Amino acid sequence: MTVMPGFISGLAAARRARRHSGLVPAVVIGLYLLVAVAGPLLIAYDPVQTPLENRLLPPGAATSTGGTNLLGTDALGRDVFAQVVYGARTSVLIGLTTVAVCLVAGVAIGCIAGYYRGWVDSVLTRLVDILQAFPGILLAIVIAGVFTPSLWVIILALSVTGWISFARMARSVVLSVRERYWIDAARLMGVRPRRLLGRHIMPFTVGPLVAMATLEFALVVLAEAGLSFLGIGLPASSVSWGQTVANGKEYLSSAWWISAAPGLALSVLVVSVGLLGDTLTARYGRARSR
Amino acid sequence: MLTLVIRRLLAGVIVLWGAATLVFLIVRVVPGDPATVLLGPDAEPGQIAAMRAQLGLDRPLLLQYWDYLGQALHLEFGDSYRLAASAMDAVLSRLPATIDLTLTSAVISVFAGLLLGSAAGIRAGSGQDRIVTTLTIVLQSFPTFWIGIMLILVFALGLRLLPTSGAQSLSSLVLPAVTLSFPFTAIVARVARSGIAEAMAEPYVQTALSKGLTPREVLTGHVLRNALIPVITVVGLQVGALLGGAVVVENVFAWPGLGTLIVESVGNRDYAVVQAATLTIAAIIVLLSLVADLLYAQLDPRIRAAS
Amino acid sequence: MSITTSLRAAGLLAIVLTVSACSIGSGGGAGQTAAGQAIVASGTFVIDNIDPGSAQGGSAGKELAGQQIYGRLAKPDASGKLVPDLAEAWKSSADAKSWDFTLRGGLKFSDGSPLTAEDVVASFDRLIQINGPYAANYKGVTAKASSDITVTFTAQAPDPALPSKLTTLFVLPSGVPADAATYFAKPVASGPFMVESFKPSSELKMVPNPNYWGGTPKVTSLTIRSIPDMAAKLAALKTGEVDVVWGVPDDQIPALQSGTGLKVEAVPSNGNFTMWFNSGTPSLKEAKVRKALWQAVDFQTIIKQLYPVTGQPADSPLAPTVFGYAPQTPIAHDPGAAKKALEEAGYPFDKPLRLQFGQAQFKPFLQAVVSSWAKIGVKADLLQKEQAVFIEDLLAMKWDVNFQLLGTAGYDAATNLGRLYPCAAKRTGYCNPDLDELLAQAGSATDQNERKELYAQASKIIWEDAVGMFPMTSKVSYVWNENVSGFTLDALGYPDFSKASEWGN
Repeated sequence: MTVMPGFISGLAAARRARRHSGLVPAVVIGLYLLVAVAGPLLIAYDPVQTPLENRLLPPGAATSTGGTNLLGTDALGRDVFAQVVYGARTSVLIGLTTVAVCLVAGVAIGCIAGYYRGWVDSVLTRLVDILQAFPGILLAIVIAGVFTPSLWVIILALSVTGWISFARMARSVVLSVRERYWIDAARLMGVRPRRLLGRHIMPFTVGPLVAMATLEFALVVLAEAGLSFLGIGLPASSVSWGQTVANGKEYLSSAWWISAAPGLALSVLVVSVGLLGDTLTARYGRARSR
Repeated sequence: MLTLVIRRLLAGVIVLWGAATLVFLIVRVVPGDPATVLLGPDAEPGQIAAMRAQLGLDRPLLLQYWDYLGQALHLEFGDSYRLAASAMDAVLSRLPATIDLTLTSAVISVFAGLLLGSAAGIRAGSGQDRIVTTLTIVLQSFPTFWIGIMLILVFALGLRLLPTSGAQSLSSLVLPAVTLSFPFTAIVARVARSGIAEAMAEPYVQTALSKGLTPREVLTGHVLRNALIPVITVVGLQVGALLGGAVVVENVFAWPGLGTLIVESVGNRDYAVVQAATLTIAAIIVLLSLVADLLYAQLDPRIRAAS
Repeated sequence: MSITTSLRAAGLLAIVLTVSACSIGSGGGAGQTAAGQAIVASGTFVIDNIDPGSAQGGSAGKELAGQQIYGRLAKPDASGKLVPDLAEAWKSSADAKSWDFTLRGGLKFSDGSPLTAEDVVASFDRLIQINGPYAANYKGVTAKASSDITVTFTAQAPDPALPSKLTTLFVLPSGVPADAATYFAKPVASGPFMVESFKPSSELKMVPNPNYWGGTPKVTSLTIRSIPDMAAKLAALKTGEVDVVWGVPDDQIPALQSGTGLKVEAVPSNGNFTMWFNSGTPSLKEAKVRKALWQAVDFQTIIKQLYPVTGQPADSPLAPTVFGYAPQTPIAHDPGAAKKALEEAGYPFDKPLRLQFGQAQFKPFLQAVVSSWAKIGVKADLLQKEQAVFIEDLLAMKWDVNFQLLGTAGYDAATNLGRLYPCAAKRTGYCNPDLDELLAQAGSATDQNERKELYAQASKIIWEDAVGMFPMTSKVSYVWNENVSGFTLDALGYPDFSKASEWGN
């Protein structure tokens, strides 16, 4: 992603007077999670149903069945508000899964590189350099663009570069912890490397990793929306904010609400996650990728 | 210094080779055959076989890879399967539009970013600083495609000041460049801020302040100069990232840039163009980061000494 | 780093910026009367390549460019009727195996050299040699120059549709090699216009050919520009940067109709929305099931809502402008009967149909179809595929329902029904010996009335057995600046600008 570098770095300051600054974004994020989990249970929406007689209704207009569409309808007569709610589920699901994949893969790779050093480390470093020779979104587009659309393809495409920052941080933590005397002691006592890594070294990475995962979540949600805006990655039957924004692009002059509403939902979520991530990063100071 | 240059150059070559291999593998692993696209659904099997032979796709993969590496060394990627041009020409014809967009947004971002960064860094920890820092997070979090659409809604469709999209005149450059500047400005502002805040804490600045110079005089006279080094580095890297990474914004504004070319070529299985475009971008990015590193080493005596 | 160095760097940036900015600054303003009668057009097809024989690039774009630059023996007029172009007359032998085309007298290429039968033969041979997508039309056909102005085509089997097929043969001077990328930067023209400059997939600029047999076109230049984004295209039309656009989506048309100075018209194309059922899929084997699925979709409403301007309910597998068209009894929307028929046939409601398509523009229509099916419990997965994958899967029959906007080349049923529906074509999974027999007869009959009758019978079988659903004949919408006149509103989106003109505003 183009926004990666500054998002994560340059945050060390302004960490004072911030004890409570994470509260508001945390509440907002909580709301989104709630909507993602419970919203679909409360609001019935079937993307397959296309009540054409209701197409392009403005927000608040009455439908043919006598109901109202809070945020209007799209070009096929489907409720935009419901698409915003169901889109939250898609975004949160993809965001969490991708971050989980990246976290596990990244930490594993980073710890291995940091612990064994030597040629393993050099090869992995080189691999990272190669992946970073492309703008991240470009690699995701090429990968997601060539396979049959599905949830897993988009998760794979976003994970291809997403693990790097985790790996980097895990590696640097391991490198520094590795030299502490009690690790040496444990090693001399014959504790096996895997146990050493898992039991004694990894716990040091938890705090910074949580902060980084938060920021990564924001990046993933943004990238997923970007891909589905381009019509890449997700199957036609899924509901996603990026797709809805793209569907509305043709109707900007006549039905602005189709693009505006889901984009706003997306922006508020990413801004909140960004602010929370900032607070967490300030608290766990270490989370910097470059 | 010389050893540093050589070492970095060597690393750059290895990275490019890896990138070339990666792209080669990706485009060949995927389903879909260029010969089928070219000949359409009515082609006979014999015709498809002949076309595959003509395109060189029937040869062993390793042989194709070898030729491809050889060609890439000469900046040659063969002919586009789709366009009546060589793949490299297709890339070069899109490069100017991409450069226009990227550099314009770079100029906007550097000005806006330095302004914001100075405002925050000059009084680190103040309310002003917190506001700017929060603002940068917000700027960076907005999805660019949505910003772009909202700008179209307001400035093109609402106020009718600027064209909605396309690349027919200079005014059509404004909206996409501004859109790209949102996250870009935030990045510059953050880097500038931390550089300035650091410099403001240095003893010589404190001395200058105690001598009665105003913070603004100190900033323009001493501090900004030092803070510019990391800013230049980050601008270089970001420009590289935008060469193909601006694809979403290009799509919103129908800007005929490199990213769009790649998306089109992936869909058409135009291997030659995908390879030429992605490697051109990779080469520029590697080069830019090399220059940024060397510049950094040149400017920062500590790094120079270490090498 | 001193401040001066960084200033210099910034200055360099600015210079690079201005230099490269010029590259986009020069494009605007064309189409103004100040520049004379310069017409700028922007249609649906991207012109990737102007070598008419080459396999590279989209065929529609080559066709659009080709008919401005090159002459053909015969060409379809705006309604699809075959009219003379370079040839003034043609006739076949009694068995339709041999065709003689007589060229107009005194034909010249744009460079002044004479255009003879030898050039036509050379262009034909080049097409065969390249073995591109068009070559398949001419299996077993050979060409020879019987005199300076007579070309004789000989086929191994009777080929009554040959003149229609030859509308894809664009005439080049003899001696153009098969692989001639540089030649096509500025090819010698045999049609109304000559190439002035060509940027693949972006812009083709042409000037009149003074040696064109039909008289030098009146406009001073003709530019065909690709503007992929619809909003940008319509904006350019409103500002006068572009004079003619076509392929405008229905939802955009009302706003344009109310605007001043613009004209809007939609003309019927020769293409039908064609949604084949894969009769090889076990659940779709029975005609009764396929017909019930057709009945279940409320096409009338869908067309009225989504294609109020460019849609017209179809009543045959062929569009009305095509030779061999015969109207059939419309299939009425009746979800109740459909559901009942499916239940009786033991249709597996839990198994989703794989509905594949290629272009994004058809997605809303297909979503509405899926919605209609969902109402009676029929599930369908809508699968949008990249062109490469779409074609491969189409041929490999990896689908249950396949959507295409299917045109009919040469406006003759032979290239549609005759090509796609015999058992041997293996396109739909449907195989019916009676239909095969009819199509074979129609393919070789020489009497046009007899052919027409045979295709009518074939259409009836295809329609009644619901080999596919044929919901809609599509029209092409044109919007143009009222100052421009004289171009043809072509049914396929290939307007002819040879008689176009523009008067001052």
